[in-house]
Amino acid sequence: MPYIYNTPEDQQAMLAAIGAASIDELFESIPDELKLNRALDIPPALGELELEQHVRELAGKNLHAGNAVSFLGGGSYDHFIPAAVDAIAGRSEFYTSYTPYQAEVSQGNLQAMFEFQSMITRMTGLEIANSSLYDGGSATAEGVLMAIDTTRRRGQVVVAGTLHPEYRETIETYLHNLGVEVVTIGPENGTIPVSAITSAMNDQTACVVLQHPNFFGALEEAQAIATAAHNAGALVVGVFDPISLGLLHRPGDWGADIAVAEGQSLGTAMSYGGPVLGILACGKKLARRLPGRIVGQTTDRRGKPCYVLTMQTREQHIRREKSTSNVCTNQALFALRATIYLSLLGPGGLRDTADLCLRKSRYLAKRLTSAGRFEMAFDAPTFKEFVVRDKENNVEELISAAASQGLLAGVPLGRWYPELADCFLVCVTEKRTKAEMDRLVEFLEIGAATTNTDELVAARI
Amino acid sequence: MKNTHDTKLIFELSKPGCRGAVLPACDVPSPDGGCDASDWLPADALADAPPALPEVTEPQVVRHFVNLSQQNMSVDTHFYPLGSCTMKYNPKRNERAAAMPGFNEVHPYQPEETIQGMLEMLYELQEILNEISGLDACCLQPAAGAHGELTALLVAAAYFKDRDFKDRGEHRTKVLVPDNAHGTNPASAAMAGFDTVTVKTNPDGGVCMEDFRAKLDSDIAVFMITNPNTVGIFESNMQELADEVHAHGGLIYLDGANMNAILGITRPGDWGRAGTGGADMQHYNPHKTFSGPHGGGGPGAGPICVVEKLAPYLPAPMVVKKETGYSLDYDRPKAMGRVRAFFGNTGVLLRAYCYLRTHGPEGLKEVSENAVLNANYLLAKVKHFLPVPQGGRCMHEFVASASKLKSERGISAMDIAKRLLDYGYHAPTVYFPMTVKEAIMVEPTETESKETLDAFAETLFRITEEEAELLHDAPHTTTISRPNEVQAARNPCLSCR
Repeated sequence: MPYIYNTPEDQQAMLAAIGAASIDELFESIPDELKLNRALDIPPALGELELEQHVRELAGKNLHAGNAVSFLGGGSYDHFIPAAVDAIAGRSEFYTSYTPYQAEVSQGNLQAMFEFQSMITRMTGLEIANSSLYDGGSATAEGVLMAIDTTRRRGQVVVAGTLHPEYRETIETYLHNLGVEVVTIGPENGTIPVSAITSAMNDQTACVVLQHPNFFGALEEAQAIATAAHNAGALVVGVFDPISLGLLHRPGDWGADIAVAEGQSLGTAMSYGGPVLGILACGKKLARRLPGRIVGQTTDRRGKPCYVLTMQTREQHIRREKSTSNVCTNQALFALRATIYLSLLGPGGLRDTADLCLRKSRYLAKRLTSAGRFEMAFDAPTFKEFVVRDKENNVEELISAAASQGLLAGVPLGRWYPELADCFLVCVTEKRTKAEMDRLVEFLEIGAATTNTDELVAARI
Repeated sequence: MKNTHDTKLIFELSKPGCRGAVLPACDVPSPDGGCDASDWLPADALADAPPALPEVTEPQVVRHFVNLSQQNMSVDTHFYPLGSCTMKYNPKRNERAAAMPGFNEVHPYQPEETIQGMLEMLYELQEILNEISGLDACCLQPAAGAHGELTALLVAAAYFKDRDFKDRGEHRTKVLVPDNAHGTNPASAAMAGFDTVTVKTNPDGGVCMEDFRAKLDSDIAVFMITNPNTVGIFESNMQELADEVHAHGGLIYLDGANMNAILGITRPGDWGRAGTGGADMQHYNPHKTFSGPHGGGGPGAGPICVVEKLAPYLPAPMVVKKETGYSLDYDRPKAMGRVRAFFGNTGVLLRAYCYLRTHGPEGLKEVSENAVLNANYLLAKVKHFLPVPQGGRCMHEFVASASKLKSERGISAMDIAKRLLDYGYHAPTVYFPMTVKEAIMVEPTETESKETLDAFAETLFRITEEEAELLHDAPHTTTISRPNEVQAARNPCLSCR
């Protein structure tokens, strides 16, 4: 086997030292009737070359942002990743290290996590961040649990219908057996009316969960909604797009008490949705209720400043069933990637990236809707994503036809919003060029004029 | 040799005007004649300035982080006998596969016909994991082992609600957890809305049957068991436990953290008496058992497998194989909801798939055989000077105790762990399980050589002979000495101002 050193001679010597006659004897504590006593029915072993050929063949069957032009968003984004992110994060000393419980031999990881936490506090305008959670969806659910725990209000949580539908489902799953009701506020014209939030609040509302910019890419009246929540004594869980903070107010500035995000945009590959990076930040008074690992600065025995995992009495390995969460493994590698990414971009790079997303998405929206078939579904201002309505109500077929031309045109919305079955979500990142956007428009216009697939293929751009 | 300048906090290296990334000029005309963001977005939504990130150049960023990396131990550089964590070698071929754009740059909402290779890989992985566990259906969605625990417990809750509650109005509230279980078990049970009942264990780490029977009643939903258990012993009463839990209408959950000991040797689904079934559900830790790199704490993945009767409750979507190709099945009316956004930690799952395909049936069995051989060999060498209370043989790991050293010479498990760092070994897991005093939990894994184990045992012995004072103040050669954890927790400084 490729990764085992023991030669047959080693094995004999080791068995002799153990005082066992065979390796089988080492398993005699397992009752015979529980043993499998046959080979596992799984495919035979491949050598490295064969494995490479096999996975290359599998990979070759997939369209991806490298061989297609992607306008897909909805929580996973094709943003540019500078080469230095891969070069640094690929180093074995980061890549193959364990959780930094042994601080003396983990200062590299610990300092990088401390820098990550520091950057997230500066990004969110809140005082404390943990060192990562699984993803944006589960981070949002953890934020909601924190709010319930903090406010001791167990009646309901109010969730904006413009929150990512899979985040909403995750919240519902996490709360399903805890007796807390999830009240979802339906959007009007793509955003949540402040009045709808106000009237949904009661004295047992733990929090309002608001995504801004929302799942449709639209800006909410975030500050007014946060005020409405606070007036009713509830907390605000704000879901943000880290890239948008190059231009927009930080969640802490518009009133979020707990800010959560999917951090994949910050230097991590889309990788079919995972592994990615859950971000969670909050105000100082909520610190002891934070889930997950936190790094703190302290000094060593000789008075030297250093970093260490801290406030561990919140965590499962100490507190067991009374812990703030069951989270153990996190997404440290992607927190590191985010830290490198944000260091490379700096404030100017983040602003430029956000600005390019905004300008380019406005350009595409304008061009797409200037033809007859498509219109903007909503009126609210948008950041890098927008919802397009197909007046011919043929979204699935259109998306599929576009894919056959190497164009990932958008995300159909019907699965989550039946009333928007004629709409799709389009995303434009800084990576999309004018030529690519023009190509999409050209294809969709031809698609609009043509229903025959053969003609579509013939019209290949 | 240490570079103290470039390892200052990145914020301290910042100089206004420096940049590590320059974006291209905008190549589209400004629509609607706008010239900056305020022409398209409401002024009250816009920040005055972007967040106060550091301003540094690419060379500075590289030197800063590469220097930081050199302050870490890692599997690629050091032996990591970290009990319960299975820190085996992380094969480079898996990394190359995971970096292929055909996997890495795939968006989660692409049309199914554009991701057939991805779905094929995930489908095959589901099948392989089912076969290894002896269970029937697999869900790849959970992001980590603890997340898998939570998912499985919610599946159990959905099953009971659908079956018992509807039929008989029964409401099962309890999850039984042995006192030496990982902390995630009771924490997951609490998150899933169950009451946790702790069951005592015997000195050998096995479940105390008397206490188990005293706590087992018709309120039981799930019995969570780690087997081999956290002291590295195969549970001697596994069949009785499974049978009695099932007789009370409960389910058995296997914490799969220790699967590295039993691959192809015994299957959790087969752990009951003939025909009655064993574990009903389990999670895997692909980042342990199937060699995913730990990345300083994550990512992991936590796929779960379940018996047929629980399959309808697994969260959607699942990958199914049809005549027309592979597809995502969302049509699962009894499914509990999703536990995260998107499909799962595909990148980690792909590495596991590569690992499984590299080994095949014989290779996987050899993994467990050698993991157990290595652990027993190290146990045989160590037990003479560091007692192992649970006895003469183990599975993939063992728990030694520094209790005698502590009482006789004041040397603690922590002292030994810290001193090992000086000798270039990562410390074993210490003070877990809590049922063993001054616990030192050692898991060598199969990817270490006899020579490494010999050298480690010799070092461990030498340490037990060293002066207590020297050990109390260890480590002496690392970047820092022991951190003041009390100060860190009492006056938390969690970010740079």
